[in-house]
Amino acid sequence: MSNQLPVPASTGRTAAACVAAFILPGLGHILLGRWVRGLLLGVAISLLFVIGLLMEGHLFKPEKEWLTWFFSLLDAGLGLPYFVCFFADWGFQVTPEQAAKVTFEYGNNFLCVAGALNMLAAMDAYDIGIGRKA
Amino acid sequence: MTHFLALVTFGLLVSVAFAVLSSEHTTAAERFRYGLKVFSYFVGLGLIVAWVLFPLPL
Repeated sequence: MSNQLPVPASTGRTAAACVAAFILPGLGHILLGRWVRGLLLGVAISLLFVIGLLMEGHLFKPEKEWLTWFFSLLDAGLGLPYFVCFFADWGFQVTPEQAAKVTFEYGNNFLCVAGALNMLAAMDAYDIGIGRKA
Repeated sequence: MTHFLALVTFGLLVSVAFAVLSSEHTTAAERFRYGLKVFSYFVGLGLIVAWVLFPLPL
């Protein structure tokens, strides 16, 4: 096993990688030169998001009920895709027919987990950037 | 989409992300083995929980 410590990136590049991770899943890793990891993360997180919407799950926005704040935070972890949907008011509507579908709750979970994983990916990009991780 | 297919799809995508993000596994082979282990846990435990819950009148 190698004892070499990972080489940290510049502060600007680290910050850019963290921001990029919230623009497109996996982009932060790609900016730091971790192409394979970035592509794998991008594909996995994007598929969770797309499949979640195809399963008729819905995105959350903060409302009176406190749990919606928690789920909104998870969804917002997707970054730009969430806010594009938010301002286009796309993917937030829930109809009774949609809620009655078997895949409805699965879809919601896919979307929340996609956001949570993207937040982890951004933190991972930060760790790579400061040299804490190879 | 069946429940099982949803479970397998979810397990596959999340285990890929976990394998990539793991800080304890450094080589590609280690990450692959870890991803495979996480995926088998997702599917295996999902099936066990489903089997335990099946007789319950839910």
